[in-house]
Amino acid sequence: MTQPKTYIKATSVEHALSLAGESSGSFRYLAGGTDVMVNKFQGNDDAGLLIDISGIDALRQVSATETHLVIGALVCLEELAKHSAVAGNFPVLMEAANSVASPTIRKTATLGGNLLCGNRCSFYNQSAWWREAAGFCLKCSGPLCLASGGKKHCFSKFVSDMAVALISLRAGIEISDLRGVITIPLESIYSGDGINPSLLSNTAIIRAIHIPLHHDFRSVYKKLRKRETLDFTSLTTAISLDKTGMIRIVMGGVHAKPVITDGTGTEDLNSLVSQAVSATRMVDNDTYSRAYRKAMIPVFLDRSFRELQLI
Amino acid sequence: MQQISVTINGRPYQFLAGDHEMLSHLIREKAGLTGTKVGCEQGSCGACTVLLNGKAVLSCITPAMRAHQAEITTIEALAMNGQLHKLQEKFVDKGAIQCGFCTPGMVMTALSLAPELDSEADIPALIHRIKKGLSGNLCRCTGYKKIIEAVSEYVLETAGKNPEIREPALQPATGAVGVPRPYIEAAKKVRGVAEYADDIASKNALHCKFLRSIHPHALIEGIDLTDALGLPGVHAIATGKELPGKFGVLPVSQDETAMAVDKVRYAGEIVAAVAADTEEIADAACRLIKVSFRPIRAFLTIDDSLNDAGESEKIHDTGKFNNNIHKKVELRFGDQRKGLEEADMTAKMSFEFDGLSHGFTEPHAATAYWDENGLTIITATQVPHYLHRALAKVLEVPLSRVRVIKPYLGGGFGGKSDPFPHEIIVAHLARKTGRPVRVRLSREEVFLTNHGRHPSKMTVEMGISAEGIIRVLDADVAIDGGAYGSFGVVTSYYNGVLLQAPYKLDNFGFRTYRVYTNKPQCGAMRGHGAVNPRFAVESLIDDLARRINMDPCTLRMKNFLDSNTLTVGQYRITSNGSSESLEKVMEQSRWRERIGKMEKGRGLGVACGFFISGSALPIIWNELPQSVVHLKVDFDGRVLVTSGASDIGQGSDTMLAIIVSEVLGIAMDNIFVLAADTLLTPVDLGSYSSRVTFMAGNAAKDAAEQLKTEISRAFTKKFNIGAEDLIFSENRVFSHDKTVDCSWMEAVDILTAKRGAVSVSGKYISPKLGGDFKGAGAGLSPSYTFGACISEVEVDEETGYVKVTQVWGAHDCGKALNPLAVEGQLEGSWHMGTGQAISEQMTYSKGLLFNNNFLEYKIPTTLDTPDIHASIIETIDPEGPFGAKEAGEGAIHPVIPAIANAVFNAVGVRITRLPIQAEEILAKMKENRISEAKI
Ligand SMILES: Cc1cc2nc3c(=O)[nH]c(=O)nc-3n(C[C@H](O)[C@H](O)[C@H](O)COP(=O)(O)OP(=O)(O)OC[C@H]3O[C@@H](n4cnc5c(N)ncnc54)[C@H](O)[C@@H]3O)c2cc1C
Ligand code: SF4
Ligand code: FES
Ligand code: FES
Repeated sequence: MTQPKTYIKATSVEHALSLAGESSGSFRYLAGGTDVMVNKFQGNDDAGLLIDISGIDALRQVSATETHLVIGALVCLEELAKHSAVAGNFPVLMEAANSVASPTIRKTATLGGNLLCGNRCSFYNQSAWWREAAGFCLKCSGPLCLASGGKKHCFSKFVSDMAVALISLRAGIEISDLRGVITIPLESIYSGDGINPSLLSNTAIIRAIHIPLHHDFRSVYKKLRKRETLDFTSLTTAISLDKTGMIRIVMGGVHAKPVITDGTGTEDLNSLVSQAVSATRMVDNDTYSRAYRKAMIPVFLDRSFRELQLI
Repeated sequence: MQQISVTINGRPYQFLAGDHEMLSHLIREKAGLTGTKVGCEQGSCGACTVLLNGKAVLSCITPAMRAHQAEITTIEALAMNGQLHKLQEKFVDKGAIQCGFCTPGMVMTALSLAPELDSEADIPALIHRIKKGLSGNLCRCTGYKKIIEAVSEYVLETAGKNPEIREPALQPATGAVGVPRPYIEAAKKVRGVAEYADDIASKNALHCKFLRSIHPHALIEGIDLTDALGLPGVHAIATGKELPGKFGVLPVSQDETAMAVDKVRYAGEIVAAVAADTEEIADAACRLIKVSFRPIRAFLTIDDSLNDAGESEKIHDTGKFNNNIHKKVELRFGDQRKGLEEADMTAKMSFEFDGLSHGFTEPHAATAYWDENGLTIITATQVPHYLHRALAKVLEVPLSRVRVIKPYLGGGFGGKSDPFPHEIIVAHLARKTGRPVRVRLSREEVFLTNHGRHPSKMTVEMGISAEGIIRVLDADVAIDGGAYGSFGVVTSYYNGVLLQAPYKLDNFGFRTYRVYTNKPQCGAMRGHGAVNPRFAVESLIDDLARRINMDPCTLRMKNFLDSNTLTVGQYRITSNGSSESLEKVMEQSRWRERIGKMEKGRGLGVACGFFISGSALPIIWNELPQSVVHLKVDFDGRVLVTSGASDIGQGSDTMLAIIVSEVLGIAMDNIFVLAADTLLTPVDLGSYSSRVTFMAGNAAKDAAEQLKTEISRAFTKKFNIGAEDLIFSENRVFSHDKTVDCSWMEAVDILTAKRGAVSVSGKYISPKLGGDFKGAGAGLSPSYTFGACISEVEVDEETGYVKVTQVWGAHDCGKALNPLAVEGQLEGSWHMGTGQAISEQMTYSKGLLFNNNFLEYKIPTTLDTPDIHASIIETIDPEGPFGAKEAGEGAIHPVIPAIANAVFNAVGVRITRLPIQAEEILAKMKENRISEAKI
C-alpha cells in the first residue's frame, strides 16, 4: 500500500531537516514544485510527504561577500535574472535563467530546484501507463535501459540549465544536512548515474550558491531546443573564460551529469572540443537524434569561441 | 486532507484540501470557479494561470496547500460591476478570442506581465517583450497575432498613448455583413463564465476513468473485475462486451466499438471503464482490473500493413485482402501517358509526412445523464448530429430518446468531429448507475484518441511544357489510418481528388491506399486529406519552375483555372480568387524586388492552395437538407435563431446572427442564437469540411428572408403596400417614400397581431453537382476557395535550424461576413501550418506515442510563430450567403509548402519530409556541397 499523502510547510531549514529526519517514509522537499509536481502527475515521484521549503525566507537572499556573490537556493529564476548584482557580474546567469521553461514558471521555479531538477529521458518522462506499456526501464526499477537498446546503464539526461552556467563560473554549493553546513564545488554533487543523479543525501538542503567574484569572467551560453521557449534542453553549453586565460566548458543534456572540460584559451581549441565531445554519453532519448546533438557540440563551442574572440 | 482558508477573488473560503491536490482542482471543483482552464496538467500550456498573492502561477502544478492563507485571483475577478477590465475589453475588441479556452490564462498572464512592460519602448521592442512574456501560453486558434495586439494596445493606452499598431486597417462598412466585430459571446469567454464541457456542474455526478490497453495488438483472454469492484466508491465497471454495437462516423466504416471486445487494436484503446465517486477512486479501480492479453503480431507502419498478413493477424477481419489495406481508390482523367510524353520537363519526388495532432487546447470532456426524456449528453463535439445517431445506434435507443448538447467548445480542427468511445461509455455508465457520469480526458488520452492528420508517404510526378504549362500530374499515395476507419475513406479520396485545382489539368490521376495499423486512429484535421499532397505538388512546381528558369509565381499564374469553369474531374468552379491572391502576396512581400536577391541563408517561398467550401454530399445518405435554421419572433421583438451548427471557436454563432441582422436590418443585440442542441435545434450536419458559413449561413439567410416575407405580407395587408416597396434597415421597416415608417417593435406588433409568435424555417440544399463516374462525389462542393502564401525564412547554415520569420497570405473567402473573424481563421491556419512545417509530429516507439503532451508535441509558441500578414480576397461567390465561402481550412494548404520552398530558396535544400528536420537540412547541404565540388 502506498504511504498516505501529506504536506507540511517548513518554517526554517532546521524545521525542514527535522521533518525529513523524522519521516519514516518517502519525502520530498518542495521548492517551486515545478519539477516535482509534474513528476508526481506522471507517477515518477511517489513521495508521500511533501516538505514545502518555499516559505523559508533565509534562503531567498542575494548578497555579496568580499569574494563571492551568494544567491539563496529559493531565489526564483525570474528574480535571479533581474537582479542587478547578477546582471552586473554574471550576465550569463541571466541568460541561462531566461532560457529555462516559460516566464510564468520562472516566477515559481527556484535556483535550488533547478540544480536538482530530475534527469530526463523520452522513455522515462511519461505516464505510469506509458511506462508500463513500454516495459519499465532501469530508472523505473525495470531490468534494462530501453533508450540504449538494453544496456544496464541509465543515460537519462542532465538538464539543469543553471548548473551548466554556474559550474562554468566555478560556483560552490552550500548545503545543510543533519550533520551541518558545507560548501563544495557545485559539480561535485552530480554522480553521473542516471538513476540517482545527485550525490546529496536525501535530507540535504541546498542553502545557497556561491559564485567567485573578481575573476572577470567572460562567458557565452547556448541552448539547443526546438522551440524558442518552454522546452528542456537538448544541448546546453556554457563557456567561461577568466582573467588568467583559463577556460571552462560545461555541457548539459549530453550525459547524466554536467560534462566539464577545462583548458586554457591559448591551447588548441580543437582538441578541447574533441575532449568535450568524447566526454559525453548520449543515447537516443531526446527529441533530437543523438547524432545531431553530438554534431552540434563543435558548432556551439566554435561559435562561443568566436564570440569570446578566441578564434 | 487539511483544512485551509483561502481568499479567492476577495472572498474568504474554507476548504478541506488534499495534501497533494492541485490548486487548479481546488479552484475549479471546490470553489466552482471554472474560468480557470486546464489544458495539459503539466505546466506546458498556461491555460490554468491564476495569481497567487499577486504573482502569476500555473495552478495545475501548484499545490493547493500553498493557497492556505493566501490570496488567489482568477479570471472571474477582473470584470467589476459588470464592466470588463480594460485588458479584457482589448481582447474582445481586437478579436483575440476564438474558442476562448486559452483566453483566461492568457489574460491572467498578460495582466501580470503588463506592469513590467515599457510603454516608452518602440513598438517592435514592445511587441517582442509581449511575445516573450506570453511564450508559455499556447493558443491553437489565433496565431497569437490579435492577442499580442490586444496586450500592446492595452499597455499603450494605459500609459496614455494612442496606439496605432494595427495593419491593415479594416474597411468600415454599413449594415451587418462585412463589419469587423468580435464574437457575440466574446465577453462571456473573456470573463471566464462561458461554460465548456468540463465546467458544467452536474449534481451528484460520478467520475469515469478508463483502463487502456498497453499492447498495440492483442487478444483479450479475460478480464477480472473482482478487486476493482470491491473498492469502496466504485459504482460500476463496464467492459466491451456490454456495448458490442459498432459505430464510426462514415456508414462504410462502422468498425469501432466503444471498448475493445475481443481484441485491442492499438496501445491506448479502452478496455474497461469505471464510474466511481471520485476520479482518484476511479483511477485506483482501473489499476485493480486484471486483463490477460495475448499479444499478436503488430502492424506499425504503412509498409507492414501492405504486406501479407495471416487471417488471424489482420487488424480487422472485414477486409477483402489478406493484408491490412483499408481502402484503395484510384481515379484517372485524360491521358497521363500522353501528358508525360508531351511534357518538356518532368519531376518525380517522394515525400513523407508524420502524423499530427489537432492540438486543440480543451481536452475532450463529457457528462451524460438519463431522465424521463432519455439520454442527455453535454459534450465537446463538433458534430452533435452524428453523435446523436451513433449514441442511438450503440445504446439501442430510439433517436427520439437522445439529446446531444454542445456547450462552449475549446477548439476542434476536426478532432472533435467523430462520435467517440468516451461519449458512448459515459452514456452507458450513466444508464447503468442511474447517476450522471462525467469524464474528462487527460492530454495524453487526447493524444491517444487522436483522429489527427494521417502519416503519409507519396510519390508524385509532374510534367510541364517549356512554356510552363502543366501537362500531367500523377500521385501515388499511401496513408496510415491507424486502428479504425474514422473519416479515412474520405481522406483517401481527398488525398487525390483535391489536387485537381487550382491549376488546370488535362491529364491527372492518383491512387491512394489507406492502411490500418496498430496505432491510434487518424481522421480529419484542418485541411482534411489535401494538405500533404498539396505540399508535394507545390514543391514539384517550385522545382520545375526553377529548372525551366521561370519565376514560380509566373508559372502558377499561367496555370490557374478560370472562374466559372469545370475541372478535369468535373468540379464546378464558380468564383476563383487564385490570381488575385497570388498577386496580393507578391505585392505585399515585394516578391519581384526581392526574390533571387537575398543573402544566403534567407529565402522566400511561394505556394497556392485550394479547398472545398462544404461537402455537397452528406456523410449519411438521406434527403434531409444539409442545414436547417429556424427563426422565431415573438412580442418582445427578439429574433431567436436556432441552428444545429456547432460553434467550435470559429465564430459560427456570430455568423448566423450577422446574416439575420443583415437581412432584417435589425441590430445584432436583437438576435439570440441557440445552437447545437439536438433537442432544440434543427439538424445541421456539423462543423467539418468547412461547410458551416456556406450551408448554415445560406439556411439562415433563407429563414431571415422568409421572416421578412412574413412581415412584408403583414404590412401589405395593413398598409396596402407592395413588398418590393419595403426597406428593412436600421431597426426600421419603411417604404421608399417613408409614408410607411415603423420601428422594428411596431413591425413586430403588426406581424404578431392576432397571430402571436411567428416561426419560419430556412434551409440549404446543395445543388446537384459532378460527373457520373464512381468516386465523382468526392470533393464535390457548391463552391471552392483559393489562396496563396509567401513565406520568408532564415536558415542557420551551421545548425540547420529554420526560423520562419514572415508569412504573407491571401485567401479568397468570397465575402468576409466578419473580416475580424476571417483574419482570425487565416492567422490561426498559418500558425498551425507553421507547426506542421517546422516542429509538430507524432513520434512512435513500437506503437507507443512518445510525445503525448504539450511539452514534447511542439506547437509553436508566440516566439516561434512568424509575423503574419493576412489579406482577405473577396470574389463574391454567386451561391454563398452574401457571396461568402469558407475561411477556416483552405488557408492552411499553401503555407506549409511556401515555407519549404523558402528553405530551398535560402539554402538549396528540397524538403521532402515533414516536419523539416534540422539534421536533414545539414545532411542535404553537405550533399549539395559535395556534388557542387564534383562539378
Ligand atoms: C514546461 C516546463 C518546462 C521546463 N523547462 C525547463 C528548462 O528548460 N530547463 C530546466 O532546467 N528546467 C526546466 N523545467 C523544470 C523546472 O521548472 C526547473 O528546473 C525549476 O528550476 C525547478 O525548480 P523548482 O523550485 O520548481 O524545483 P522543485 O520542483 O521544487 O524541486 C526540484 C527538485 O529539487 C529538490 N529541491 C528543490 N529545492 C531544494 C533545496 N533548496 N534543497 C534541496 N533540495 C531541493 C526537490 O526536492 C526536487 O527533487 C521545466 C518545467 C516545466 C514544467
Ligand atoms: S536512459 Fe534508459 S534507463 Fe535511463 S531513463 Fe532512459 S530508458 Fe530508462
Ligand atoms: S493546464 Fe496548467 S499549464 Fe497547462
Ligand atoms: S482561442 Fe486560444 S486556444 Fe482557442
